[in-house]
Amino acid sequence: MLFTDLINSLITDTTQSIPRFGVELCLSATIVLMLLMRLSGLDRLIPACLTATVGALVATFLAYKQFDALHAKDAVVTTHIFTGLLVHDSFTVFFRGFLALFLLLTVALTSLTGIPDEEDSPDFYSLLFGATIGMMLMASANNLLMLFIGVEMTSVPSYAMVGFLKGRKVSSEAALKYVVYGAGAAGVMLYGISLVGGVLGTTDMSMLSQRLAEAAAGGSGGLKDPEVRTVALGTMLVMVGLAFKLSLVPFHFWCPDAFEGASAEVAGFLSVASKAGAFGLLVRFCLALSGAKGTESLMISFGLGLGFIACITTTFGNLAAYTQTNLKRLLAYSTIAHAGYMVMAVAALLVLKNSPQAATLTENINQSIEGLLYYLVVYLFMNLGAFAVIAIARNYTFSEEVDSFKGLISQSPTLCIVMLICMFSLVGMPPFGGFVGKLFIFASAFKAGEVHGFMYVVVAFGALNTVFSLVYYIRVLRTMFLEARPADARPVPVRLASWESAFVVTLAVFVLLLGVLPHMMSQTANDAAQAIAQLPTP
Amino acid sequence: MAAGLNAYLLVGAVLFVCGVICMATKRNGIGVLMGVELVLNGANVNFVAFSRYTDLGLDGQIFSLFVIVLAAAEAAVALAIALNFYNNHLTIDVDRANKLKG
Repeated sequence: MLFTDLINSLITDTTQSIPRFGVELCLSATIVLMLLMRLSGLDRLIPACLTATVGALVATFLAYKQFDALHAKDAVVTTHIFTGLLVHDSFTVFFRGFLALFLLLTVALTSLTGIPDEEDSPDFYSLLFGATIGMMLMASANNLLMLFIGVEMTSVPSYAMVGFLKGRKVSSEAALKYVVYGAGAAGVMLYGISLVGGVLGTTDMSMLSQRLAEAAAGGSGGLKDPEVRTVALGTMLVMVGLAFKLSLVPFHFWCPDAFEGASAEVAGFLSVASKAGAFGLLVRFCLALSGAKGTESLMISFGLGLGFIACITTTFGNLAAYTQTNLKRLLAYSTIAHAGYMVMAVAALLVLKNSPQAATLTENINQSIEGLLYYLVVYLFMNLGAFAVIAIARNYTFSEEVDSFKGLISQSPTLCIVMLICMFSLVGMPPFGGFVGKLFIFASAFKAGEVHGFMYVVVAFGALNTVFSLVYYIRVLRTMFLEARPADARPVPVRLASWESAFVVTLAVFVLLLGVLPHMMSQTANDAAQAIAQLPTP
Repeated sequence: MAAGLNAYLLVGAVLFVCGVICMATKRNGIGVLMGVELVLNGANVNFVAFSRYTDLGLDGQIFSLFVIVLAAAEAAVALAIALNFYNNHLTIDVDRANKLKG
């Protein structure tokens, strides 16, 4: 190809890609703006949280517009942008919208609770925005290079945000643990990527399954073939990196420590957003490797392995949460358990997609992704709600221990009611959103049981764990509602007519709405699922 | 005699294993980070070797360039966090990070 042709095709490609990349560009522009305002001293006149709110609002609006544009068409539209490094489809846009909305809510929460202080806020919001862009890249990655860059772009700002409370021993300790484990997991993941990409001879994720089929066809197929074996090993190493991000057992050590050391706002952000990005990536990566001829049984065993890890993770998370006295730590273990529930959906997806009857199971394959997406949306509202209540109460009591919440109902009933809604939804009780999400996931895992009986065991573990988890959530609620407020406890006078209450009540209303009117969200989630699951498989 | 792909992959694997052992056994925070660098460079050797001998082509070279840049960014943040830990604890022994547990 002539040099001028190359330049021309690059120019066309870039000009076509940039409009589809608007949300990320908007967030990047906000980062630059905040840093420039700090440089020129303008941030004393216009606080950084205002700039951040406007930036996040515009980003959410742009993501909504993108979604609308994709919805207007009947057919599923999948566009590769930036020479095939990223992919733009309903799934990408779903995650963009989700993450932009979550960013907006987090910015609102941080400006209500006053963490970070005014001096540090441009730095803090730059880190927050940068991490969000990384998560968006994770959800839209179509190349192993973007997979790694997305993970790193999310992790590096997260390390800094965990250690943001300067001068506190626990905060610096949490950040050190997070960075040491995180960097190690990223290194292991990169080694896995080098094996997968090198043996298959491509870093393009949409070509992986085709190349895998060719590799399996050349040799004896299955694990006896050295190429397939190397790819399987590489895939396992990549899974280690993703399992670290998702805090699955046995790569969960960092999660409780990081959450306890970080402020409640940062913990809330990490527990939802970084998990969401990693799930987007996990689904894309699993689908990229699925459907290759000759390796179906291998991929099914990967799915069953994920199912096994999901069982262990939920059980461990729920059992470890029993004895916790710090609320953030308790919620960290609950986060681990919830990651386990959500991985069940991915396990079901892998098993269904690689089963011999995959062609007739399209509806069920969609359903498993749809369940995952629905659960993520509900999880956003209920988990952020719980962390927001902790953050607001902390500003009055200066403590995050369960005991400091004793008898809170007598002083701020709004906070208590919101906590009740969020926690019942986390358990998975009807009529709250968590129930519908769990129902979707268990239904798809149950369907996968028809392909391999082990998935029935996974569903049984999920159901049992739902019952286990009831106990420790109820313990927190009993402390809040039934015990008397000690006379020496600091008062928490949060009235109904205040911004704090308005914020948490909004979250609680969404948790309720998602439980009562599931079709509102499930249709959208189903569209996103269709876009990604229907990729032609060779 | 030219060394084949396997020889390079062996070097990469040795670097990887050394790095993992270093991460697992070093008690000094900086030592652990050095182990991470070894792992990343083990992967880099793999990428460059694959780009020479398989149809991965220039993608592998580009990948390793990106990894070098990302490793630098990660090291910068990690060292800042290690310094912050030192300011609060007057040590960078990771075993002394034992306030948070349970």
